[in-house]
Amino acid sequence: MRPENYQAKSHPPSNEYELNFGPNHPGIEGNYALKVKLHGDVVVAARADGGYLHRGFEKLMEGRLWIQNIALVPRICVPDPVPMEVCYSMAVEALTDMEVPERAQWLRVLQLELSRIAAHLFTFGGHAATTGMYTTMYWGVADRDQILDLFEEWTGGRVYHIYNIPGGVRRDMPTGFLDRVSRTMDYIESRLPDYDNLFFTNQVFVDRARDTGPMNQQQALEWGVTGPNLRATGLAFDVRRDDPYLVYDQIDFDIPTESPGDAWARTLVRRQELKQSIHIVRQVVEKLPSINGPVRTQIPNPLAWNVPAGETYTRVESSKGELGYYVVSDGGDKPHRVHVRGPSSMHAVQVLEQLSVGARLEDVAQIMFSLDACPPEVDR
Amino acid sequence: MSKKVIPWLDNLLQEIEGVEIRRKDSRRVRIDIAPDSLPTLLELLRGRAGYVHLSAITCVDWIDDGQFELVYQLWSYESQSLVSAHIRIAREPGVYVSVFDLYQPAAFFERDIHEMFGVYFEGSPDMSKFILTEWNGPPPMRKEFDAEAWVNETFEWKDYQPDWLKEITEQGGGIVKTPEEARQKKP
Repeated sequence: MRPENYQAKSHPPSNEYELNFGPNHPGIEGNYALKVKLHGDVVVAARADGGYLHRGFEKLMEGRLWIQNIALVPRICVPDPVPMEVCYSMAVEALTDMEVPERAQWLRVLQLELSRIAAHLFTFGGHAATTGMYTTMYWGVADRDQILDLFEEWTGGRVYHIYNIPGGVRRDMPTGFLDRVSRTMDYIESRLPDYDNLFFTNQVFVDRARDTGPMNQQQALEWGVTGPNLRATGLAFDVRRDDPYLVYDQIDFDIPTESPGDAWARTLVRRQELKQSIHIVRQVVEKLPSINGPVRTQIPNPLAWNVPAGETYTRVESSKGELGYYVVSDGGDKPHRVHVRGPSSMHAVQVLEQLSVGARLEDVAQIMFSLDACPPEVDR
Repeated sequence: MSKKVIPWLDNLLQEIEGVEIRRKDSRRVRIDIAPDSLPTLLELLRGRAGYVHLSAITCVDWIDDGQFELVYQLWSYESQSLVSAHIRIAREPGVYVSVFDLYQPAAFFERDIHEMFGVYFEGSPDMSKFILTEWNGPPPMRKEFDAEAWVNETFEWKDYQPDWLKEITEQGGGIVKTPEEARQKKP
C-alpha cells in the first residue's frame, strides 16, 4: 500500500452506537428497516434500508398481458390498493384512446374514497400505537373492517378487489348496496367524536406529536413530498383538484391544510380528510341512481389485445400522496415498460432519513407512521 | 382551473438547440431534447417557469436501438401543468449526469435506475444498492435479462414428494402436471 493511500480506520466516538430499527420491529411500518446511529437516545444519523418486500412488479408486468396486470397492481400497496388499479387502468385507457362510461367513473370514485377512508383509519391506528395508545388501533382496524365488508360484498375481495379494468369496472353494484354504504358512512361519522376524544385531542398524543419531525413548506417542496404530508405544511395541493381525473371536477370537497408540518399536523390533516371523503361518498351515493348506462366499454379480446404504441403518465391522489404510472407500449400484447411512482418513495426514504436526525429514538416510529410510509410502494 | 399554459415556453426554448415540443393536451407537454441540453432545460423550467416538483424519472430500455430513454416528469404548482422531458442516451456505457443539484428527489430515482438498469449518474449523491442488496447478477430491468432463464440456470428443480402427497397420489389425486410439463409450450 502506498503511503498516500493509507487512511487510518475511523472509529465512531465511544458514546455513539448503531441500532438496526427493523425489519422486524413493532415500530416500523411493514418490512422495512432504518439503520440509526445514536448518541444516547438522540438520533445523529439515519439510513433507510429497503428491499425486503421487493417482488419485481415492474419486470413481471413486462411479461404479462395488459389485462393480466390488473391482478398484479393492487399488491403494490396493501393498505390502499384501489388507486393502483385505477391509475393503471387510466394509463391503458389513455394509450388506447378509450372512453370510460360515466357510471363507471362514479363507481371508481366511490371505490377510491372508500379505500382512502380505510387506509386513513389504519394509519391512525398505527400512529396511535407508536404513542402507546393501542385502543385506537383496535378501533381503527375494526372500523376499517366495515369498509372491507362493503368491498367483499361489492367485488368479492376484501383487500385486493381487482375491480377496475381498462374500459371501466368489472360489474355493477349489488341491489341495495348504496343503502349499506350510507349506513356505514353514518356509522363511521358517528365514531369520529369518539376518535377525537380518544386520540386526536388526547393530551398524550398532542404532547408527543407536537414539534416531532417538523418539516416546513420549503423543505417539503425541495424533497418532493406530496399528499397529506405536503398539505400539513400549508400548501393546498391535491391531484384530485389540481390535475382532475375521473369526475372529481364535478364533486364538491375541501382540501384541508395545517401549517406546522409536524407529526401532529400530518395526522390532523388526515383526520379532516376522513370527513371530506365521507362527504364525497355521500355525493356519489346521491348521484349514482340518476346515472344509468353501461359500466364498461367493449374492449378487444383481452388475450390478443395489442395496445397501440405510445407512452403516457397518469396520476391519481392516493391516501399517501401523488401516485403515478408511466406506461410505455411498443404496440404489442404486453407493456414495454411500466414505472410505478409510489408517493412513499419520497417520504419513506430521503425525508424519513432527514426528519429522524435530531429526534429521540422513541419518536422515530412515530415519525414514520405520521408520514404514512408504505414500504411496498418503495420496493415495488 | 387550468391557467393558460406555456406562452413563455417557445421564447424560452429558442435558446436551446435540438428541441421538439408537443402539446398533448392543456396540461401535458412533451419535450424531446438532446442529452447535453437537458440540464439547461431543467434549470430554465425550474428557475423561470416554476416547475419545482420532479414527479418521477423513468428509464426505458430500447434494446433494439441500443439506447436508454430517460423521462423526467416535472410539475408546476403554479400553471398546473406537467412537462415530460425525454432524452436518449447510448446503452453502452450508459452514463449520464445527475440532476440532484436541481431536484433533490432525483437522488432516489437515479439510485433506483442505477440499480435496475445499470445507468451511472455522475454527481449523484448515492449510487449504492438499496433494494437488491444481495444481488450480484446483471441489472435485472434490462431487456436482455430473462428472469426465467436465470432461475433455470441457477437453481435445480426438485421433485416435491412429501408423505401426505404420496397418500393422495396413491388414491388417484395429487399433482396432475409436473413443472416440466407445465413449462412445455403447447404445439
